[in-house]
Amino acid sequence: MALPLPSGLVPTEVAFLCEMEMVTIVPRQRLEPIQLLSGETPALRPPHRAEVPLWLALLLKKQRRANIVAPPWLLVSSLQDLVHQETNVDPEAFSPPPPPPMRSDGRGTARPYGTHPDPDSKPGDLILAPPFLPSCTQEAPSGYLPYHWLEMSETLLAHAADDIPNAPDVRALLRDLQEVRAAKMRGSTRHLDGGGGVLNLRGVGAMELAESRGFVLGVVDGVRKIGASMEASRREEEEERAAAGGADDSDEEMEF
Amino acid sequence: MSYYDIDAILTDAEKVPCKFELEVAELGYLDHNPAQPLKAGTSVGLPLWLGELLALASRAPSSSEEDSKSFISLNLPSSLSNEVMSALKADPRAVPLRDQSHNFYGLGTRMLDLFDEREICAILRKTFVTRAADIALHARKAGATEDMGIGGGEEFLRGLEEWERKLFKKAHDGTKGTKEWMEGIKKY
Repeated sequence: MALPLPSGLVPTEVAFLCEMEMVTIVPRQRLEPIQLLSGETPALRPPHRAEVPLWLALLLKKQRRANIVAPPWLLVSSLQDLVHQETNVDPEAFSPPPPPPMRSDGRGTARPYGTHPDPDSKPGDLILAPPFLPSCTQEAPSGYLPYHWLEMSETLLAHAADDIPNAPDVRALLRDLQEVRAAKMRGSTRHLDGGGGVLNLRGVGAMELAESRGFVLGVVDGVRKIGASMEASRREEEEERAAAGGADDSDEEMEF
Repeated sequence: MSYYDIDAILTDAEKVPCKFELEVAELGYLDHNPAQPLKAGTSVGLPLWLGELLALASRAPSSSEEDSKSFISLNLPSSLSNEVMSALKADPRAVPLRDQSHNFYGLGTRMLDLFDEREICAILRKTFVTRAADIALHARKAGATEDMGIGGGEEFLRGLEEWERKLFKKAHDGTKGTKEWMEGIKKY
């Protein structure tokens, strides 16, 4: 280990990546499109809403040239539902990630889930997976936490608290969510003992992963090391059994 | 395990009880009896690296009808004895593992390589997983109160052995990184 760098992304890197997420803004001034490597930003015309990356939204917000529209999942009612879901409905698992906006129709094409196919859509318009989902715009589904929920909400609360309805309550609910999910993350390693050695981390956000990566990997590694000798002897037994029974039922053996 | 892994080296130096299978001249001082040769059947604590070598190596049979035997026979160290195992089975969190051995799990895995003890393996795994949840909780709390494990956390840290201390540090670093980012978010 020459470089003592931690494995995976550190929290500041995760927050940096989060600035690429699209958010909806209400511009207060006109702004012509800006040519960027990732393409043009939309032209801003004052009463019309537009979707821009978070970094640009924050810049415009600081210059008082735009207001940020809070994503629907960051409203008090949605967060209350989520806390209820995490604590009462399913105290073991994390709340599920947002549903995919596109779903395969079984004939090789994907189309928007729950809506009729748009005749004008081109194949490149389909967005199927995070992190490219518009999970923090005003169209995001309410009641589901997107991948970048913690960083996005913290950033918005820090820089655009006046645009979020009922910000103090939102802040308190986010603290509750964070604590209850951190406790689940700690408890999730308990299931490693039961064999299998698989953790279910469905619905966990990027910042939570960055926070718990070292710990979870440490536990998995430790369990693997303790079980290594037993695993080796189990393999040997299996090989012996395969060698003994190989003569008559060799068809059932899987070859790797 | 790397060649320079200091914990692996320290684990190698842990004493394990070994029973000598043959009489050795001039080694009586190991049994606090320098005038006499070391009798066969004496139990002496030897470092793991030496005990392992002597137990696995076989000496030439002294007569033709005798099978080749090893120099010594290894036994489980006291930290993996039945008492400790039943205490861990009852409540993994109540046992200060560091008092048993500084490299409890390291020693445990080395002994499991030599002995086929499924029950010890299962108990060790359960202990590690159960204690890990506690370690994560303490690591988070130590970050929250800013005492970095001094005070109440120190008492807890004293009971942890090396693997667990590393785990504590990892969990604490993760929490610390997130906390630092959250505090610094308003500044930029």
